[in-house]
Formats: sequence, C-alpha cells, structure tokens
Amino acid sequence: MNLDFTAEDKIFREEARDWLQANVFKERRPHGGEAMRAYDLAWQKCQYDAGWAGVSWPKEYGGMGLDLTRQLIWYEEYARAHAPDNHLCFVGLNHGGPTLIARGDEAQKRTHLRPILAGEKIWCQGFSEPNAGSDLGALRTRAVIDGDELVITGSKIWTSHGHLSDMQELLVRTDPDAPKHKGISWVIFDMKTPGLELRPIEIMTAPNHTHFVQCFYDEARVPLANVVGGLNNGWSVAMSTLGFERGTAQIKDQIRYAFLVEQMIERARARYGSEYITHDELGSRLAQLRADMAAARAMTYMVVSRAQHDIGGSLASLMRAMVGDVQQRVRRLAFDIIGADALENPEDDDWVYFYLRSYAQTIAAGTSQIQRNIIGERVLGLPR
Amino acid sequence: MDLLPSDDQTQIVDTIKSFLAGEAPVDRLREHGAIGNPDAALWPKLGELGFLGLGLAEELGGIGLSASEEMLVFREFGYHLVSIGIFGIVLGARVAAVAGDDALRDELLTGARRVGIANPRGAAAGPGPDAQDYHLFEAADASLVLLVDEQGAGLLAREDFVDIESVHSTDSVLTLERARLAADKPRLWVARSADNIHSRALMLLGAYAVGLGEGARDMAVDYAKIREQFGKPIGAFQAIKHICADMAMRSEAALCQASFASLVMADGLPDTDFHAVASKIVATEVAMKNAAANIQVHGAFGFTSEANAHHYLKRAHVADLLWGSLREQRERILTFPTPA
Ligand SMILES: Cc1cc2nc3c(=O)[nH]c(=O)nc-3n(C[C@H](O)[C@H](O)[C@H](O)COP(=O)(O)OP(=O)(O)OC[C@H]3O[C@@H](n4cnc5c(N)ncnc54)[C@H](O)[C@@H]3O)c2cc1C
Repeated sequence: MNLDFTAEDKIFREEARDWLQANVFKERRPHGGEAMRAYDLAWQKCQYDAGWAGVSWPKEYGGMGLDLTRQLIWYEEYARAHAPDNHLCFVGLNHGGPTLIARGDEAQKRTHLRPILAGEKIWCQGFSEPNAGSDLGALRTRAVIDGDELVITGSKIWTSHGHLSDMQELLVRTDPDAPKHKGISWVIFDMKTPGLELRPIEIMTAPNHTHFVQCFYDEARVPLANVVGGLNNGWSVAMSTLGFERGTAQIKDQIRYAFLVEQMIERARARYGSEYITHDELGSRLAQLRADMAAARAMTYMVVSRAQHDIGGSLASLMRAMVGDVQQRVRRLAFDIIGADALENPEDDDWVYFYLRSYAQTIAAGTSQIQRNIIGERVLGLPR
Repeated sequence: MDLLPSDDQTQIVDTIKSFLAGEAPVDRLREHGAIGNPDAALWPKLGELGFLGLGLAEELGGIGLSASEEMLVFREFGYHLVSIGIFGIVLGARVAAVAGDDALRDELLTGARRVGIANPRGAAAGPGPDAQDYHLFEAADASLVLLVDEQGAGLLAREDFVDIESVHSTDSVLTLERARLAADKPRLWVARSADNIHSRALMLLGAYAVGLGEGARDMAVDYAKIREQFGKPIGAFQAIKHICADMAMRSEAALCQASFASLVMADGLPDTDFHAVASKIVATEVAMKNAAANIQVHGAFGFTSEANAHHYLKRAHVADLLWGSLREQRERILTFPTPA
C-alpha cells in the first residue's frame, strides 16, 4: 500500500500540468449541434497534435503506450486544469477504441484507432433497442450474410450523438436460432451507409437540445470484415466494452466532481456567508459530499490499483453504482445552492443544465438497479 | 501508487484475522451478556504478538510500521467488535512514548494495564452538561484514562475524575460511567505539534468503523444465502439483494477512503487532518447504515439479542459519538482548505 509515484511519473505530471495550463480551451463548450462537434474534435486534435492523446493506448496506433498510473495522472491534471469534457469523443476513446485494441484484428486497428485519437472521427454506441434496454441480450436487429457483406435491418435507440457521429459500434443478431447471448455480433458501422435513417429525440434538459437519436436500418450493407472478435462472439466483445465504461472511464469524472464540490463550497460561501452555511443544512450536505468525494477519488485509485494487479471485473460495479448516486447528489445540491434563481435556466450557467442531466446518471450504461443485481450476484454471490 | 495491501501487509492482516477468529469470535459477546467486556483478556496476547505498538516508531519502543498497517489492523478490530478499550491502550502507549515516560510505555505495550477513554459529554456553553463532564468508556478497571482533543492527547489517572457514576451503556458490552474532570491538566500530555494523535485517533476510528460496516455486511449476505422464504433464499429477492449491494458499495467507499487517509498520514502530507476527518465521516455513516440494514435483512431475529446484529448498530453509534459526532465532523471538514 503506497501513494508513491516514480520520478518519471512526477515529470510526466509536471509536463501534463504545464501543457494543459497553456492549451486548455477557454471558450465554453456548446451544448449541442455541429458547433459542439467542431469544438470536441478540435480539442481532441489539439491534444493529439501535441502528443497527449491516448495515454494508455499502444504507440503503434498513435497512443502514448503508458501504464494506467500515467492515465490516472493525466486525468487528474486534466480535471485540475478544468479541461473541457469532450463527450462526443467518449465512445471512441472509452469503448470503441479499447474494444478494438482488445479484440480487433490488425486491419481494423490500423484503420480506426488513429482517427479516434486524432479528432477526426466521432463514434457512437448502437446497443440499446426499443425492446432491449436492460435486457440487452434480447436485441433483435438482424444481420444476414450476403456474400462478403452483412445486410442489417432493424432499429437502435438512445444512440447518444448518433446524428453527429461518423462511426458506430453496433450489436446485431447474426444467428437467430442460437441461444440469446450466442448469436450476436459486434460490428463497425459507418454512419454514412445507405439505408440508415435517424430520428432525433429531445431530452429533458432544454427544448432545443438533441442528445440522442433512434436509428433505423433498412437493408444497410456492411463488409463482413467489419465484424470484430469473430461472428457470433459479439456478447463477449460487448462485455469487454462495458467493462471499460464501468471502470477506468469514470476516473476523470470522479476527479472533476471533487473539484466541482469545492467550487460549490466557494459559491455557497459567497452567496450566504461562511458562518451561515456552517450551521445550515446546505453546509451539512456540502460537508458530507466533501467527505464522499474524497472517498470517491480514493475509489478511483483503488480501481487503478486493482487493474494493475489484474483483479477487478465486477468489482468496478461498486464504484460505478456508488458514483452515479453521489454525482446526482452533487448536482442536486448545486441546484439548491443557487436558490430561487435555479428556476431560471440561463445559457451561461451550467449548473441547472447539469442538474437536469444528472437524472441520466443512474440510467445510462446500465441502470443502478442492474448494477446492484451485478454486485449482488457476482460480487456477493447471492442467488439469482 | 497502490491502494492494495503489499504481501507483508497481507501477512499481518492474516495473522490478526486468524488470531481474532480464534480468540474473539463475535459470538463471545452474546455469551458474555451485559456485564462488561471480556476483551481485556486479549490485551496481553496482542501485546505479545506486537500489535499494540505496531505503528509506533522503533526508537519509541514500537514495531516501526506505518499508519497503514495500523489502519488494516484496526479494521479487523472493528470487524470483530473488539472493545474500544484497544484505542485506549494503543494511543495511550503513544502518548507515554512521545511524552518520554518509557516505563509506562513499555508496560502499556505488554497489554498488562488497561486504559479507559474519556469522551466529552457536553458543550463549552449552554445549560446542559458542560466542558468538564465526561463519559468514561471501559475505565471501570483501568487506572489510566486517555483523553484526545484537537489540541493534543493525554493520559489521566482515574482519580483525576470525580463524581464517577456507573450508568447503563447503550452498547451493553462496554462499561460506561459519568464523571467530572477535576484535574487542571493530564499527567502526561502530547501537544499536536509533537505528534498529531487526534488525527490518528480519527483515522483509526474510521478504520474500525470500516470493519464494523463490513462485519454487518457479511452477516447480512451470509444470512440472505441461507434463510428461505417463498421456497427460495431471501437473497434471490431483489429487495434484499439490493440492500446487500448497497452495503457492499458503501463499504468499498469507506475502505478506499480509510486506506487513502492512512497513506496520507504515513507520508506526513498536509491533508492528513482532512482525510482523517473525511474517513471518520464516511466510515461511521457506513457503519450505522450497514448495521441498520443488517437488522432488516434478519427480520425479527435481527431484533433480538440472540442475533449479533444489534452489536454492530450500537458499536457504530459509539464510533460516531467518540471524538466528535458526524454533526461536529461535518462542521469541521468545511474549515479545511481544498485538499490537493
Ligand atoms: C443519457 C443516455 C444516453 C444513452 N446513450 C446510449 C447510447 O449511446 N447507446 C446505447 O446503446 N444506449 C444508450 N442509452 C441507453 C441505456 O443503455 C439504457 O437506457 C439502459 O440500459 C436501460 O434500458 P431502458 O432505458 O430500456 O430501461 P429498461 O430496461 O426498460 O428499465 C426500466 C426500469 O426497469 C428497471 N429494470 C429493468 N430490468 C430490471 C431487472 N432485471 N431488475 C431490476 N430492475 C430492472 C430499470 O432499472 C429501470 O428502472 C442511453 C441512455 C441514457 C439515459
């Protein structure tokens, strides 16, 4: 047990800090549309051009080839510098890319990894369907083999930023006769493929913000070579992807939230006075969150520690489920600190917007109930 | 950076685990009933094994390990509901060592002498109990009493207290007395500038509370696997499964923070106080919530004194109220600067 970082780690941290301080985008990130896409790609490209993209990705695909400790340091400095959360790049950086690294063939890696890092391609996730949400294995979108192509027909839903994306990680049923989890394939899908239509779906944050879309595939053709990890192996490939989403991908967020709570304390003091909040319910909630965020950050250290010892797996659900709840509490408290003005939803203040957004924290990437099922059954060994 | 115990640390944990499993199974509390705590018999054995001076520097007569090893061991003390008298001895020995009373230090490290704990009952002002009013835990057979506050830590003699009156303890396996402090100053005193025993006390209490929460969690999970209703184990019902999952999530958070806090302390980093307080806040809250959930999972059995569930709850409340409750710690944590 130790908090030691090597001399090289420390140099890495200083260099990261200096670079971020000088280069972080200062303009506010747009909440939607092409402007947001342009912003996110530009910031990703800026990191890539300076050699800071893909800290733990292999060097041959444009990454830095460093270990998870450096990844952790990068995320810490990233959050400390208030670097923008380029969420459009999230799927590429945290699911699609890592899945290709783990399960893709050489050609797939060569074609797709560098453009993700370089801020050229946005990826989205096509897993959920109207009738397959928590029960992802029930997905029905069909893919029929025709020569060296797959012909895809069906529908995906809740595809975040699907309308702003270039590529999609798509789960399709390639063997309808096999047992539920056996006949699925993980496919790289180009969003410009003929036969794809998108229907925007507005989310509850504000009237004009489209966050996700429904995708309709009508005999859309994809090369068989785009199947990752082998035909009908899609379930196990998808599970490695979700592992990333539930584990290390959360680190940056955790640290960001710890800083947010500090900002909230400042703002509450400025608005109500130090003395007042200390004895008020707001103060008590801020204090509890300050302690909880310290613990949440320690949990990210534990996730990295476990990964270094090759233990983890379902244990990452402990953090994932915990932070969903904590982050919702943070956002709610931020909303409460604003007082009556929270009923205004101004363009230049993110706190109301993010409060509303926080309702997705316990739904997306596996609902908190599903996380608790996983913890109960796989971590604690309780019967199904 | 590594939050997992090293091989050496795991060996220490295994040693204390098997010692406590043999010498201090939680069932001992049920057999003993409400007459006081049998754990004083453990102290000489723990002394012989070196656990009483584990975190004390070698030049101060200890084993010379860090706050992290101490943290890991106090987590096991909590898990086995070891009497909080253990804090009196371990921290008391530290007071004696740093204050330079080597004879007393060595005597305490053998576990031959008990040390009670004084905890303030009142506020500095107001009509209720005042600043001189204390509770004494596990002090009935102790000639010495440990007192810890933000300024430092000290040892008093039992005679330094007057109007001592035995009261029924909510946690019935601990002895509890009311007393008034009559001495101007402790016999031995270590200011926080010499050694930050207050933060160490909070950090170790956090670790102890982690163990309490984990003990309650494991008891609930074990029961959920064997108790059957409606033809299946109750753990198959999501209502129960999710209670258990919540217990596991909370325990993970508390353990991670306790580990982190111990490392920050071991390295002497500036955020030592902050993380010790955060650890106490998180862990005592978890201990109380897990203890309550454990009672619920056990149904009526959990409500009896025949099940051990109530012990975790009562001890969690002791851990909360010792050295400043959740309410006080929350006020305090807001006074620290932003941690690094
Ligand atoms: C903001 C946001 C972004 C998203 N982005 C994407 C994306 O990019 N790509 C993508 O593929 N998907 C995406 N999703 C979809 C997400 O993965 C699903 O919403 C999620 O898996 C739950 O499925 P569902 O919405 O159909 O809810 P349902 O599965 O219908 O669940 C409804 C309720 O029932 C509960 N429930 C269901 N089954 C059980 C059970 N076995 N035990 C206990 N309770 C149960 C759930 O917890 C929930 O409370 C996104 C969702 C959100 C909110």
